[in-house]
Amino acid sequence: MDQIMKDSSSSSNLQLRNLSKVFGQGNGKVTAVDSINLDINPGEFITFLGPSGCGKTTTLRMIAGFETPTAGSIMLDGQDMSALTPDKRPMGMVFQSYALFPHMSVYENVAYGPKTKKMPSAQVKTEVEAVLDSMSLTALANRSPNQLSGGQQQRVALARAMVMRPRVLLFDEPLSNLDAKLRAQMRIEIREVQQRLGITSIFVTHDQDEAMSISDRIVVMRNSKIEQVGLPAEIYLRPASVFVADFIGISNFLEVASVEASSAGLAKVAVLGKEIDVPAHEDALTTKSILLVRPESIRVKRVQGSNQTIAGTQGRVKQVVFYGEHVEYRIETELGIIIAVASDPIFEEIVKVGEFAEFSFDPMRSWLLPADTH
Amino acid sequence: MSSAVLEKENAVALKKPKEIKLDIGTKTALIISVLLLLLMVVFPLLNILTRASEGTGLEVFSNVLKSAITRKIILNTIVLGVVVATLGTIIGFFLAYAQVKLNFRGKKLLHIIALVPLITPPFAFATAVISLFGRSGIITRDILGLTPTLYGLPGLTIVLSCSFFPVAYMSILGMMRNLDPALDEASASMGASKLRTFFKVTFPMLIPGFASSFLLLFVEASADLANPLVIGGDFTVLSSRAYIAINGEYDVPAGSAYSLILLVPGLIVFLVQRYWGQRKSVVSVTGKPTGTPTFIENKVAKFFLLFIPVFIASFIVLIYATVIFGSFAKFLGVDNSVTLDNYRYIFSGVGYDAIIKTSMMALIATPIAGLLGMVLAWLIVRKVRRGREFIDFLGMLGLAVPGTVLGIGFAITFNDVIKIGDTTVLPQLAGGGAIFGGAVAIVMVYTIRSSPAGQRSGIAALQQINPAIDEASASLGASGFRTFRKITLPLIRPALLTGLMFAFAHSMTTLSPIIFITTPETPIMTQKILAEVDSGRFGNAFAFCTLLIFIVLTVMALINLSVRGKSTNTANTPIVRA
Ligand SMILES: Nc1ncnc2c1ncn2[C@@H]1O[C@H](COP(=O)(O)OP(=O)(O)O)[C@@H](O)[C@H]1O
Ligand SMILES: [Mg+2]
Repeated sequence: MDQIMKDSSSSSNLQLRNLSKVFGQGNGKVTAVDSINLDINPGEFITFLGPSGCGKTTTLRMIAGFETPTAGSIMLDGQDMSALTPDKRPMGMVFQSYALFPHMSVYENVAYGPKTKKMPSAQVKTEVEAVLDSMSLTALANRSPNQLSGGQQQRVALARAMVMRPRVLLFDEPLSNLDAKLRAQMRIEIREVQQRLGITSIFVTHDQDEAMSISDRIVVMRNSKIEQVGLPAEIYLRPASVFVADFIGISNFLEVASVEASSAGLAKVAVLGKEIDVPAHEDALTTKSILLVRPESIRVKRVQGSNQTIAGTQGRVKQVVFYGEHVEYRIETELGIIIAVASDPIFEEIVKVGEFAEFSFDPMRSWLLPADTH
Repeated sequence: MSSAVLEKENAVALKKPKEIKLDIGTKTALIISVLLLLLMVVFPLLNILTRASEGTGLEVFSNVLKSAITRKIILNTIVLGVVVATLGTIIGFFLAYAQVKLNFRGKKLLHIIALVPLITPPFAFATAVISLFGRSGIITRDILGLTPTLYGLPGLTIVLSCSFFPVAYMSILGMMRNLDPALDEASASMGASKLRTFFKVTFPMLIPGFASSFLLLFVEASADLANPLVIGGDFTVLSSRAYIAINGEYDVPAGSAYSLILLVPGLIVFLVQRYWGQRKSVVSVTGKPTGTPTFIENKVAKFFLLFIPVFIASFIVLIYATVIFGSFAKFLGVDNSVTLDNYRYIFSGVGYDAIIKTSMMALIATPIAGLLGMVLAWLIVRKVRRGREFIDFLGMLGLAVPGTVLGIGFAITFNDVIKIGDTTVLPQLAGGGAIFGGAVAIVMVYTIRSSPAGQRSGIAALQQINPAIDEASASLGASGFRTFRKITLPLIRPALLTGLMFAFAHSMTTLSPIIFITTPETPIMTQKILAEVDSGRFGNAFAFCTLLIFIVLTVMALINLSVRGKSTNTANTPIVRA
């Protein structure tokens, strides 16, 4: 046990260089992964996030060794992995379908890896029991996988990968077969185990909440390429592109009239009849740009009196959805529909459908980014 | 991402990555299997090709155009194939339909009876049918006062349809079971009647199944040798003509040529079938039917739908009763007094030797064939990417090639030592004077004829297993071979079981390939039965058949016990939800 503990305590780094995968030939050619470059730090929890078909699974499977890259390299702690078959790579994988061995008990499933490594049987026993214990699976040790609930199967799959003390743990949408509540609970559990052991991990998902809540950094993928790599907060508040902003959370994109550099990191823009200084992406000054304002950044106030027009920062409320802790408005403005969220609302101040509203936002809570050129 | 880092690494990254290699165990398995297939199928076939292009062989080919006799033989073969394939498919369909769509007592029994012909030795049907329905048959002459001519197409049709329909039954049954009942429900919920649902929904989805059954039966029926020899009369088909050429006229080139012609439809059908199989998109095998199966309850409909199945089942039972009773009768239909003479005859003479030796050779071939089939299935489904088609083709070739063809191929290939240059690579394996009295060649034939069934069921079983299970094993550090032993093999155990049982039954009951390579030291039961039938001693033939069936059933039961006993049977335990 100590021996293996040592391996994992010194966490591993992983580098992807120009990694590409093309399936098929000739006309049926599909570029699943297109020249991906990524540096993953020791002990880091990285999430690949993106719509279905963008190449997440293929990337993960190349790292695991199940797919051969068409080009590029995968380096683990400076060692090229490409010549190694999956069984020779010090990586563990948790599958979407769990892939538990149906003819073996929970215990046997977990013991399979250590036995394969020809570990002495006494040691196998202690190892497996320790892992089962840490995952609260001891009571289920003699069950067959098909006698387990989805969440339990998930934990066995994790335990089975974990007992090998892999240098890298790979997860392919492991929670997608669970219901929402269990999903939220399991992601906390996975994160906890990962942090306790400090294993470098890559987690594939198309669920933004999952990505946000579990990751050190998120890799957003689109059309076989990496769109942005960043901390969850960066991805949400400082997205590199309209695609990223749009994919994660709800976004209002406001057209801006004139753009010029202001002080460092800021740009002066004309929007909704006002001139404001907003934080800006470095490319936003050189190309056509657009202003991102998240719904929760927009304040909404009922307009009283006679000046009831749709102009500037004033609009008409088209839809109101009350969720309890927040209210969601759809407001018709001169720039189209804007979505605003008012949390912790005061009953009397909730604007009704058809009423006019004045909306505003703190410029520092907005983000100027290049308009989508795709 | 800083571009400075990227540029520095570009030199390394642009190198083309190496192909991921198969591990050594997998590679060894691949090489050994392919070599075995080349030796046992491809090599004999090539030899037939060579011999058929000698003198009299070429004459046979030119006669296809010139001689009316040769053309008649070919036509006979095609007619027989088409008639039997049509009848067999219809019978198979009605039996399968009854299993899936009707609820009645004795359903299980009907299923078992429908499978019985698969393990029935050749001649059992033919001899029983002659005894019952022939010119001096118990039923035709003694009861009905008729003296029909069975010899020729009528007799062959009855006997071959009954022998081969289970092939159609199983494939259509498998297909019908995989049809999602939700489709029927959807059709019904849109207001379609049961009849309309059948013709508009069920039937179209079964067409590929019918087509493939038809093709399989066509090949089996057109290539059969045993029955044309016994009940064919002067209705000569290619296989019996090839047999006469080799065993009667000692004209190997002509025999090779006839068998090559026989090979043509077999190979065409085989290729068509494979093409078809690849496009099977109509029936989705999700393994998770979403609806509840509904049964047809209408009494009248039930009666008509059950008529053919019950008729066929009764007929099979009657045949079996005849065989067993006939084995204890002095001369069935002539002198029905009970006697043990037939058995005494068998156990006193060469019969005993044949029983022991045939069983031994079949028992040796069975595990080899089972393992070969499973390894091939595993290589094809999981391991080999490029060339998997070819390996599948090679593996199935052993069964796609008619037995007559394979037998002749073996005879001309292994009746001599095999040399490369001046060095002997293989001693003489077949014929008189061969090592082990020619037993090696017979075991090889048994193996290569039986492994395709294992391969097919193995492939079907593997395709049901999520590939992620194999990948999970690999990611836990297991080599390809360990994964095969610890994960794949246990999971496809039921398929292995089917494969093994088929292998044994098939080996015990096969005649056409063996008849060309059997030697005095290796007497084969089926060949002994032929000899008895030929000399009109039906009683001895019946006794042989009864013993053969008894041995096959016993060994199948033993295989079932030994293979099934080891599995941790957890599949049926209820799912506990936390
Ligand atoms: N084995 C394969 N053969 C051909 N195309 C594939 C294969 N696997 C994936 N693809 C294609 O590659 C693209 C990326 O797939 P994938 O990596 O599974 O996406 P994701 O996991 O992000 O949904 C898709 O267009 C998919 O159709
Ligand atoms: Mg995926």
